[in-house]
Amino acid sequence: MLKFIAAGLIASAATVATLGLASADPVTITFRFNDTEQEVRGAIDEFQKQNPDIKVDLQRIGWKDARNQFLREAAVGQGPDVAHVAQVWVSEMGDAGATLALDDFLQKDPPPNGFADFAAQDLAHGKDGKVYGLPWTTDTWAMVYRTDLLAQAGVESLPSTWEELRAASEAVYKKTGKAGFGFPAGSSASGAIWFLANFYWWSDGKALIVQKDDGSYALGLEQADVVEAMNYYKQFMDAGDNPQSNLAASDAHDPAIMQALVSGNQAMGAMPPNTYKEILKAYEDANPGKEPPFASAPFPHQPDTKSSMIGGRMLVINASSKHPEAAWQFVKYMASEPVFADHYRTQFPAQNSLLKQIDFGAPLKGFAEQFPFARTWGAYASGPVPIGTLWNITQRSFGKALSGQVSTEDAAKELLAEIGKQMP
Amino acid sequence: MRDRLFITTMLVPSMVLLILFYGYPIFDNLRISFTDLSLLGMKKGGNWVGLENYRELFRSGEFGHILFNTFIWLTATSVVLRLLIGLAIALLLNTRALGKLRLAAVSRFALLIPWATPPIVAVVIWRFLLERNGFVNEALIGLGLISQPIAFLADIRTVWPSIVVIMLWNTVPLIALSLLSSLQTVPEEYYEAAELDGATDWQTFRFVTLPFLMPAILVLGLMSVFWSFNNFVYVWLATGAGPGTFTNVLATEVYLKAFVDFRLGYSSAIGMVMAVVMGAFGILYLRLVAQRQLEETL
Repeated sequence: MLKFIAAGLIASAATVATLGLASADPVTITFRFNDTEQEVRGAIDEFQKQNPDIKVDLQRIGWKDARNQFLREAAVGQGPDVAHVAQVWVSEMGDAGATLALDDFLQKDPPPNGFADFAAQDLAHGKDGKVYGLPWTTDTWAMVYRTDLLAQAGVESLPSTWEELRAASEAVYKKTGKAGFGFPAGSSASGAIWFLANFYWWSDGKALIVQKDDGSYALGLEQADVVEAMNYYKQFMDAGDNPQSNLAASDAHDPAIMQALVSGNQAMGAMPPNTYKEILKAYEDANPGKEPPFASAPFPHQPDTKSSMIGGRMLVINASSKHPEAAWQFVKYMASEPVFADHYRTQFPAQNSLLKQIDFGAPLKGFAEQFPFARTWGAYASGPVPIGTLWNITQRSFGKALSGQVSTEDAAKELLAEIGKQMP
Repeated sequence: MRDRLFITTMLVPSMVLLILFYGYPIFDNLRISFTDLSLLGMKKGGNWVGLENYRELFRSGEFGHILFNTFIWLTATSVVLRLLIGLAIALLLNTRALGKLRLAAVSRFALLIPWATPPIVAVVIWRFLLERNGFVNEALIGLGLISQPIAFLADIRTVWPSIVVIMLWNTVPLIALSLLSSLQTVPEEYYEAAELDGATDWQTFRFVTLPFLMPAILVLGLMSVFWSFNNFVYVWLATGAGPGTFTNVLATEVYLKAFVDFRLGYSSAIGMVMAVVMGAFGILYLRLVAQRQLEETL
């Protein structure tokens, strides 16, 4: 009798276990992405097809709020399993304990060609030397020109110095009535004037933050350097060739600026390649069969200086993720070659091996030419003041100067004083 | 004595709830304001810095500018204009002429539209209207008043008036409708008596209408001060406190310090300063309004 009961119990347990396994729900992870859903929808669907035991919920948030939203949530054990972040945020997020160190995963289950194949590795490390993010995409900014407007203004070649850029912008405005170099001059935290200011300084061989020979960090600019950059960009606002309304625009992706370039109301812009690709596509959609009158070119620089940054995005795993293994599977897949070949075509991959295979084509020639004259954030990222703070202070001071709220001298003084206060 | 004990016992749950919901956050904010807590250091917590955040705030070169924006533009200008325009609209809606033209109901309905529009939608609508190629610029150019479009929300000469216009568009209807309902309580005999005494229109308004409206104006004025002084939405959505920091007010400074500069401790100190100012207005409200209402009830 006992044998029958025992056999019955074992059989029931086995049945329950089998049913339990068969009906086990797939693991669900959340992926927070900061660009448009259609850019990654295909890749996520493909991942789920290949990994039926992992379901990915896509969340969307704007870049403007992405960083502080994630930090707020991670501090209380919440937030998405995987997040899309700017490369320059990774170190501080790791130091804050918001993201998971990936060293174990990289050792046990590395991506093809290993971690060494990825660009911007310096930005992936926290102060403790651990890796807190997997570089996902990389890009650089370059200048974009409407060649038809330049021709109308009598500008025969693309500017190669800051003075030529200024003169070309002025010529377009005076001769065609259209905007010349229309850059976003707004002061909001994630704004673009931060990039333009740094490109100006870097092209002259200077930088806001520098690392000295003894390893310590210091401000690399004098007040006169900051004033010079502010005055340079202020000329465009004061003369009117950058419309005053761009003081309310902070993003290179600002619809008003993109539309002005597409419609031929603006001759020049500064942007990353995905924004340029969207402009080209919008032009082709609006003018089927017409050759887009656009060209890209590097920012002005000297033979031995840089004038743009090697930027991009990383993927991080939340320190509080309940499914870190599944999250790593997803992160690794998203950084793989098929994703960039078949789905995520608006961005360039961060793996050097994949980057080398890309044919930039004629419209993106300027971006390809800019890459050798682009630099990483270097001392900015490893220095004592978080890049986000440097960015915010610079944006605000330039915003004050460009809008005429205070003089360029006062704004420059304030910028250096504010950053100086936070240097050890 | 037993009644008193019973009443006190019955009040305990409400008091506990009030302390939990209102007292705890205020005391926690006060505690944080004495630390250097950062958004990047929330897991570790902040270090005690005493009054350092307050010292830095009051010594900051920006503080005077922020206070000016908050008191003069965001609060005083918007509240005074809101009451004046609201009163003018209420008087207009109360005229017999409007009733004769059968426009009273339509006008009141039209007034409800901006009031029912959420502030975020109101700001977005106005941002479109005030754009370079927006309706306002096109209308002004069409009328020959300007030759070049004005960057209303980016030019330091026009940005504050533009924000105030957005606030007024969204909030005046409530004032107007509230004052209209007060106007309709003025007894007709008072106007007849004033007419018999030979009072002019201005005298009738000054000595008959206005005294009846004063309690409502007082309440609406004080409530408007609360809504405006603490307001974040209009400035942040319209300008993000820019250009530069030209339209920065206390509420946007709290956000900027907490979520842009990540300085939660410093931001909490600004929040406490705002709470003190609002507390002063609260006492004023209690003395001028609540006390009077209590006396009238008793």
